[in-house]
Amino acid sequence: MQDIRLRTVAALVLSFSAFINLWGAALAFLWWIACSGRVREVMRMRMLLPVAVMLAFFSTVLSLTGGDGFSYFLRMMVIVLIGAWVYTEQTCGEFLRFGVWALGNRTGFELGMLADMGMQTLHQMVQDFSTIRIAQAQKGGCPSRKTLVPAGLVLVTGAISRAEHTAEIMAVRGYRNGGSLCPRFPRVRGADQVRCLAALCVLIISLVPVSEFFILS
Amino acid sequence: MHVTFDDARYEREPWAVSARGLFTEGIHLVSGDTGSGKTTLALMTAGLLAPSSGAVMREGISSLLVSFQFPEHHVTGRTVREECESWGHDPRVIVSETRLTGKEDLSPLALSRGELKRLHLACVLSREFDLLVLDEPFSSLDCREKARFCEVLSRRTRGITIIFTHEQEHFPRVDRIWEIAEGTLQCRGGIPEALPCWDHAPEVIRALVRQRKIPANLTRKDIVEAACRT
Repeated sequence: MQDIRLRTVAALVLSFSAFINLWGAALAFLWWIACSGRVREVMRMRMLLPVAVMLAFFSTVLSLTGGDGFSYFLRMMVIVLIGAWVYTEQTCGEFLRFGVWALGNRTGFELGMLADMGMQTLHQMVQDFSTIRIAQAQKGGCPSRKTLVPAGLVLVTGAISRAEHTAEIMAVRGYRNGGSLCPRFPRVRGADQVRCLAALCVLIISLVPVSEFFILS
Repeated sequence: MHVTFDDARYEREPWAVSARGLFTEGIHLVSGDTGSGKTTLALMTAGLLAPSSGAVMREGISSLLVSFQFPEHHVTGRTVREECESWGHDPRVIVSETRLTGKEDLSPLALSRGELKRLHLACVLSREFDLLVLDEPFSSLDCREKARFCEVLSRRTRGITIIFTHEQEHFPRVDRIWEIAEGTLQCRGGIPEALPCWDHAPEVIRALVRQRKIPANLTRKDIVEAACRT
């Protein structure tokens, strides 16, 4: 889905559908398989497993305290998959264009720029993490809590230092707030419109009780 | 012991870098502009990045290390002392060699990048590797440290050492010169024969070549000797 506006709408409605009930989560998952076109790419993402483990932990805690941990786990995992799809489709500068289009040259510009900078930092951290793992492996150490702590420290201090430098450069260049941008978006393809409509259908179906569709005894 | 680039090519549309050649024992200098693909080739040399086509073969190499441009990526110790120990070295020796006495209990990330690079290179060069790949080893070092590092590096007699850099002032003793030009790694040959056709040669070497005072090698001593030649 090339147009970030359609992608954002689709991601929002699918996440909401997955959040409200299991039925919506199942439909959103089907949408992700059939329409995202990024299943393989998402499945190759290394961060997916640690996120799933973390969710499994919280779901277990929820189950042990009387909640429906199983449903929570499935619904959250679908939301994570939708998020991963958005992440793989994102290109540099998209959030800025989207922000200006949605909220104008002041608030939209600032929010869009912040989102874009956040994504850049995330990309950089993923890249740095992969280099750190190689460097640690060369020293002969196995990945463990002991090696993860210094890696985390390097990532966090690096991100803070880069953020400081960026802020200084922007201040030196006279940045105060807002900006001017005339956002341009790629031509919306028919297939993308259909996929977005399918996402809206998922939301509608998940909001309507199942009994409205099927005669249940 | 050698590394062979058999028409190895790495593509990331619209950019690509390709290499063909044989790296034997000795010190190899690979120069190239920023963004020409030095880091990509460094990773391919060590087998950390698979080429899109062709192959990179390493024979007779049982230990290898890639030293990344940013030394913080190698940090695993909570203190300078632990960092030295993580490389299997006696911290007292490394700390005194790198003039970091009194900073043994500091976090390596609390050092300046120059100090950290110094510490990292000292740890790397205190170990023996069949293949040592150095990606921009001179970055963040001051002139004095660059000169000291070149001296230590020049003493390496065993294994393959490949230096990927765009440094223009300080060099160790080098056996072969390579450069990345128009997306391809090209061997310019041994020294001093390679110097006249080395496109990325520093201005001082170009000037000496123009005056037909070809230095025996790239070390400061060799350059001074050639410049003083009558």
